Amino acid sequence: MPESSSKPDTMDRRSFLRTGMGGALFLGTVSVTAGLSGCATSPAGDGYTALSDARASNYQFRFLTKDDIVLFEALLPAIVGPSLTEDPERRRIKIRETIERVDAGIHQFGPANQKELRGLFDLLNFGLTRVTVARVWSSWENASTADADAFLKRWQTSSIGLFNNGYIALTKVSNVAFYGHEDHWAASGYPGPPQWAVDALPQFKASA
Amino acid sequence: MSITDRIARGLESGWKVIDGATLTASQTHEADVVVIGTGAGGGTTAEILAKSGLSVILVEEGRLYHQKDFKMNELDAYASLYQEGMSRVTRDGAIAILQGRCVGGSTTVNWTSSFRTPEPTLNHWASQFGLDGLTPDAMKPWFNGREERHTISPWQVDPNPNNDVLRQGCEKLGWSWQIIPRNVKGCWNLGYCGVGCPTNAKQGALTTTIPGALDNNATLFHGLRADRLIMNQDRIDRLKASAMSADGVTPSGVEVELKAKHFVVAASAIGSPGLLLRSDIPDPYERIGKRTFLHPVNATVAEMPEAVDPYYGAPQSIYSDEFNFSRGVDGPAGYKLEVPPLHPAMSAGVVPGHGEQLKADLTKLPRLNSVLALLRDGFHPESPGGTVSLRDDGSPVLDYPVTNYLWQGLRDAFYKMAEIQFAAGAKKVRLMHLDSPWFATWGEARKAIDEMPMEIHRTRLFTAHQMGGCGMGSNPRESVVNGFGEHHQVANLSIHDASIFPTSIGANPQLSVYALSARNSSRLASKLLS
Repeated sequence: MPESSSKPDTMDRRSFLRTGMGGALFLGTVSVTAGLSGCATSPAGDGYTALSDARASNYQFRFLTKDDIVLFEALLPAIVGPSLTEDPERRRIKIRETIERVDAGIHQFGPANQKELRGLFDLLNFGLTRVTVARVWSSWENASTADADAFLKRWQTSSIGLFNNGYIALTKVSNVAFYGHEDHWAASGYPGPPQWAVDALPQFKASA
Repeated sequence: MSITDRIARGLESGWKVIDGATLTASQTHEADVVVIGTGAGGGTTAEILAKSGLSVILVEEGRLYHQKDFKMNELDAYASLYQEGMSRVTRDGAIAILQGRCVGGSTTVNWTSSFRTPEPTLNHWASQFGLDGLTPDAMKPWFNGREERHTISPWQVDPNPNNDVLRQGCEKLGWSWQIIPRNVKGCWNLGYCGVGCPTNAKQGALTTTIPGALDNNATLFHGLRADRLIMNQDRIDRLKASAMSADGVTPSGVEVELKAKHFVVAASAIGSPGLLLRSDIPDPYERIGKRTFLHPVNATVAEMPEAVDPYYGAPQSIYSDEFNFSRGVDGPAGYKLEVPPLHPAMSAGVVPGHGEQLKADLTKLPRLNSVLALLRDGFHPESPGGTVSLRDDGSPVLDYPVTNYLWQGLRDAFYKMAEIQFAAGAKKVRLMHLDSPWFATWGEARKAIDEMPMEIHRTRLFTAHQMGGCGMGSNPRESVVNGFGEHHQVANLSIHDASIFPTSIGANPQLSVYALSARNSSRLASKLLS
């Protein structure tokens, strides 16, 4: 007997496979549809008006579109929000910097995984699939942190593997970009590299 | 505390090292041997061939990074030193693949664990794949030689508290544990092996065989992607390669052709089958890319009562083989138990969750221990491994179905890892699984593991060891190369990396690659010189 049949309902698995396949095909078509329907489909470069804070950033987006940035502005408070400062101005800056790091990270992922993420982000950004597949009723711009959290929990606990995979992709890229950065090491209690070693090693000297 | 940077010194002394990003015109070069890949296999091969007097060109898709770049920073390291910026996964996304992509390959980023190929594995290869020349006795001098070359010996310093949890747990339960041999010289015991050794203590390819090859007139192209081997009748005539821009991911449009008498492919268990498939190398029995193995890994984390500081100290120093070969080489899935280091980005990528729950988990980091199990795949009919194929853009992708046989091993490993952690005094234990809460007692964990759905995505799976895909064997119908890494059909092609393993190893594979490559390169050198 397959191991997975220890799960009470074997039908779950069969329907998971069916939906998983259908979902994969569906993902493939969304990018095309999104392009035709006027979703932002090119990297945002430096012109991301969605972020209203006044401080200029020289960062050039290479992968995330304006719509993707809005999506992450909605998701990050639910993913890393509890570790963010309460101060609204600094909070906005930290979210923006994390989105920039997400973009920089994805640039290094290379074409294959970028294509996968493009499919995922388009599915979440395109109104029809946002409502029918992600079951998020309001636009991401208007979604509350509670809406974002509820969406993440649905995909986390879903019996559909494709949604679990989407959940992992969204949270992993966000959590690594946030908790992995020096500014947020304190959030995990990580003290950073041993100072005595930093002081002793040539690559940390100003001339290196 | 020697921190001599062999790479910086060599570059100053005039080594022939060419950064693909600096090339502005397409060009052709020629050598006796072109070696594709600079990891454990490629480095060993290049040094031995170059020392024998042959002219060698080394080709590496990743870039050359060395001490000046190794600043103990995870985000920079994952983006630059790992395949696909650390985002590589199997086709369905179920298994995260940790694999180096830089000069030195995975040896630049591994955790320095250096094991001889276990005797049961070598004996299994002899009996199942006709590899009679690779018996433990026959391989012994090659292991000895490579242990000397890479300064491999059991770690002399006390294990860090993270590894000591595994030692203590095994000790309490009466299970065997051993000290891990490491390839280090003058190690500072810092804990940053995975992001590029900051002190040059790690004796991987980057600080040993690559400098050895370059000292002996080899040429290294880095930032150069091997696209296709071009056949002329029954021999390979040349390699077509694309220069990459300084970002390491975008081809610049400059093409390089490399001609040679002989070609050695050492581009890893995913890269080597990928290159051979792109090149339409003769494959009459369709063996290329088949039987690719991963040592699939699952893990648990424990909240310990005292600080563990799992980010400091030699990342791996204790292992347990209690459940590795104990139920027979081809019995139920066996596994090796080890400990991973936990830095914040790695932890945030491995511990699943978001929001308050993840914050609560990561806040425990200084007191977190983790234990992992490396499943020994490929020894049983229900563990046939995965298949490497090509995407539309020619890049390789690994399809690796997790079979019920493997799920049984993974569930069994969850029990043992949790039991070890509680025995070592853990206050709480959590499985790296979407459905796992924290368990306060071993009994509670055991009951929950009974019911834990063993399914992809929900069970977090990883691999740091990619093997097979160009398997060796005496029968050309069942393998790609013979026991010397020589291609069955193409006379001037050898494969010198973990892709030739006919099963997984059952231990961290770097020393197996070093030893087999040394043996096969010595033979290749004498053949080419005669």
